[in-house]
Amino acid sequence: MGRGAGFVHRVVTGLARALALMGGAVLIGLVLSTTASIIGRSLNTVGHLGALSNLGGLAQLLQSFGPINGDYELVEAGVAIAVFAFLPWCQLNRAHAVVDVFTAFLGPRFNAVLALIWEVLLTAILFLVTWRISIATLEKFRYGETTFLLQMPIWWPYAICTIIAGIAAFVGLYVIWGRVKDLLSDNRPHD
Amino acid sequence: MTNLELGLFSLPVLLVLIFLRMPIGLAMLSVGLAGTTVAMGGALVVLAQLKGQVYTTFSNYSLSIVPLFLLMGQFATLGGMSQALFKAIEAFLGHRKGGVAMASVGACAGFGAICGSSLATAATMGQVALPELKRYGYSGGLSTATLAAGGTLGILIPPSVVLVIYAILTEQNIAKLFVAAFVPGLLAAIGYVVVIRLIIAVSPGNSSGRERLPWRQRLLALSRVWPVILVFALVVGGIYFGWFTPTEAAAIGCAGTGLIALFTGGLTGSALADALMKTAQSTAMIFLIVLGAGFYNAFLALTHVPQEISFFVVGLEVSAWTILIVILGIYLIFGCVMDSLSMILLTVPIFFPIISTLDFGLTVEETALWFGILVLIVVEVGLITPPVGMNLFVICAMDDSTQITQTYRYILPFVASDIIRTAILVTFPALTLGLLRLIY
Repeated sequence: MGRGAGFVHRVVTGLARALALMGGAVLIGLVLSTTASIIGRSLNTVGHLGALSNLGGLAQLLQSFGPINGDYELVEAGVAIAVFAFLPWCQLNRAHAVVDVFTAFLGPRFNAVLALIWEVLLTAILFLVTWRISIATLEKFRYGETTFLLQMPIWWPYAICTIIAGIAAFVGLYVIWGRVKDLLSDNRPHD
Repeated sequence: MTNLELGLFSLPVLLVLIFLRMPIGLAMLSVGLAGTTVAMGGALVVLAQLKGQVYTTFSNYSLSIVPLFLLMGQFATLGGMSQALFKAIEAFLGHRKGGVAMASVGACAGFGAICGSSLATAATMGQVALPELKRYGYSGGLSTATLAAGGTLGILIPPSVVLVIYAILTEQNIAKLFVAAFVPGLLAAIGYVVVIRLIIAVSPGNSSGRERLPWRQRLLALSRVWPVILVFALVVGGIYFGWFTPTEAAAIGCAGTGLIALFTGGLTGSALADALMKTAQSTAMIFLIVLGAGFYNAFLALTHVPQEISFFVVGLEVSAWTILIVILGIYLIFGCVMDSLSMILLTVPIFFPIISTLDFGLTVEETALWFGILVLIVVEVGLITPPVGMNLFVICAMDDSTQITQTYRYILPFVASDIIRTAILVTFPALTLGLLRLIY
C-alpha cells in the first residue's frame, strides 16, 4: 500500500479489520457456547450418578442442567461466517500461501505482473462465489429449510455469508488496485 | 482428450501455476473449476458446486477445530505459558552442556502440546528462547536451527492442525491419530536433544555458562507450568478418552488458555484484538487451501486419476515397502518447496488409495494411522529444509545478527535426525501403533 493512499485505503483497511474482528467475536462466542454446553452436559451426567441418589436435592439440581440444544449447528453456522469474514483481511495483507522459490530470479516486473493476474483471478472467483451463494440463499429461503435441532432457517447464515463474500470481493478490487500501483511504480511487491 | 488424460495433464499445470507464485489454494481452486468445466463440457456442474460447496466446506464441523486451535495458541502465548515452560525446563537443564538449547527443544515440545501449528510454535518459542540462548553464548546458527527444528514439534505433538486435515481427508478418527502421534513426537524431541549434544561436542564455540540452580528454585519454576499441564490434560486427555469431540476439546482449550491469559493480565483489549487478527489471517489462509483442494480433488475423482494411478502402482509388482519409501521420498523432495498443509491436501487423495491397498501386515485402520504419522513427519521435515523451510524464515526474521546460511549449516544435523527417525518409524510400526493398541 503506497503512502498517503488516503481515504479509500483507510476505509478498506478499516472494513477488513472490522470484519476480521467480528469473525473473531463470533469465534469467541462459539468457544463460550460450546464450553457452556459441555459444562451443562457434565453436570447433568454427574447428577445421574448413582452415588448421588440419596442427596435428592443436589441430584435434581444437577439434572436440571444440560447441553445447549443444537450447539453443533451453532458451531457450523458460526465458523462459516467467521471464515468468510476472515478472507478480506488475509487478501489485503497478501498472506495467502505461495511458493516463492522459482520466481525470485525472474525480476520484479515479471513478479508484479504475475501477482496482478492472480489477484484478478482471486477477486473474480470471489465475485463468482458471491453470486452463487446469493442464489443458494434465495433457494434456502424459498424452500424454508431449517436446521434439524434448532429449527433455525438455513438461509440466515447463508445470507450473512453472501453479504460478507460481497464485501470480500470489493476488498479484492482494492487489492488489485494496489497491485497495479506496484506494477506502475516499478517496485517489488512487498510481501 | 479423455477425462483421464485431462486429469493427468492437470497435475503439471497445477504445479507450474504454483511455482509461478499463484497462491496455492487459488491454484487448486482454479484448476479444479476449469478442469471440471472442460470434463463436463460446460459450466453447469461447476456453478452448482459453487452454490453449496463453499459454505459446506467453511461450516464443516471437524474443520472448525482449525481456527479454535489457532486461537488457543494465541491465548497460550498471551498468558505467558511459553515463557513459563521455557523457564521451568531451563531450570533443570540449563547448567548442562547445551542445556539451554535442550531446554528450548523441551519447551517447544511442551508448547506443541497446547498449540497445533509449527510456525506458531517456532515464532512463540523463538521470542522467548532466542535472547536466552544468545545470552549464554550459543552461536546464532545453532540457536536459530534449534528453534526452527523445535518448532516442528508443534505439529507433531498433538493437538495438530495438519493431523485434523489428514483425518478428514482419509476419514480416520482424529483422537486415534493424536494418540498415534504421541510417541513419534517424543522421539523427535529426544532426537533433537541428541543432535544438540553432538553439535556441542564438536563445536567448542557454543558453551553454557550458567551455574546449577538449587532444587527449591527448580520446583518453583516447575510450579508455574501447571496451567499448561492442565490445559493439555483437558484437551488431549479429553479427546483421547472420548469425553468430548475434538472440536469441543479445542473450544475448552480456548476457554482455558483465554482465562489463564486473563488472570495473568496478558489479555488486554489490544492484545485480544491482535490475537484475533492473527487467527483470522492464518484461518483464512488455511481455509482457502482446503477449499481449493476440495474442488481440485473433486475434479480428480471425476477423471478417475487417483484410481488409475493406484491400479498402475499396484500392478507394478514391487513390494509395498518400496512404494511406501518412494512416496515418502516424494514428500521429502516436495517439502523443500511447498508448505505441509497444501502438500497433504494435494497428495493424500492420490497416495492414500495406493497405500490402503498395500499389505504391511497391519489392519486397514492401522495402516491409515501409521501412514498419516509418517506423512506428517516427512512433510514437517520440509519446514526446516533449505532453501525454503518456513520455520527457518520465521526464526531468522527474529534474529538480525544471524545470516540464514549459518542457520542452513546447523539445521542439517536436525534434518538428518528427522530422516533417521522416519526410517525407524517405517521399520517398526509398533512404535507408532503401540500406545494405540494399549488404549483402544
